[in-house]
Amino acid sequence: MLENRLGDSGEGLEDSQIGKLMFQLNTKKDCVHILRSMVEVMAMRAHLGELESNRVILAVDELFANITQHGYGDKPGRVEFEAKLHINHHRQKELHFEFRDYAPVMHMKRFTCGEDKPCSASDVLPGGLGISLIHSIMDVVQHEALTDGNHWLLIYICKSDGSCEGEES
Amino acid sequence: MKLDVRVEKKESGMAKVYVQGDVTIQTSPELRKVLKPLFVAKQKEIHVYLSDVGFMDSSGIATLVEGLQWARDMQGRFVLHDLRDTVRDVFRLAKLDTVFEIAEVGA
Repeated sequence: MLENRLGDSGEGLEDSQIGKLMFQLNTKKDCVHILRSMVEVMAMRAHLGELESNRVILAVDELFANITQHGYGDKPGRVEFEAKLHINHHRQKELHFEFRDYAPVMHMKRFTCGEDKPCSASDVLPGGLGISLIHSIMDVVQHEALTDGNHWLLIYICKSDGSCEGEES
Repeated sequence: MKLDVRVEKKESGMAKVYVQGDVTIQTSPELRKVLKPLFVAKQKEIHVYLSDVGFMDSSGIATLVEGLQWARDMQGRFVLHDLRDTVRDVFRLAKLDTVFEIAEVGA
């Protein structure tokens, strides 16, 4: 198991090459391929199954698209990205994704259909659906407005009874 | 990544749209470009085949929602076929899986 290679508590995981990836990218739309590859690598390291992996990739993609479109207005901009694999107090694996951008402060609004009322085509507004997907996939979605940009944190807790799908025995 | 979209129009007023590739913020304009003329033409039914689509994001779904709106406005049918599990899951997450007419695989 991954933890055993790094110590039973998962100590050292976040500082290891297995546990952490960082890079800087710009907001060109084609950079999403690089981002997607990196998230895929982290999902593989966490032994996520196909559906879980696809969900995590989708949520990170959507946030990057929002930063690109609504933060930077499709203009070139700098984004720093960090992904790490973390073991929480319940011995569950978590994937943490952090974005730091230098765009004007953004406020995300999600649509709330599907909770009290069914969704309809008119609920799908530009940007709104992506934010809703992020919230429905991620266990934690945090936004911090900074003086010179935004900090975003997405946390995904690997499902499947505390140990991720496909975990090595 | 490139998106391939192929259309077959039938005399009955049905159009079949075959999509291949990832439908994302980058590629969804291609799909929209193909679907839009079908919305203005006098189609009665538009069937979109997605068996070769492995990844779809919110912009892809938003593009297909335009088809849904066309179907409602024109009393037509807009049907999605052969969704892979990953794509069906995105519709489920967006709570739109019951809003679209989604045919079973091979239908």
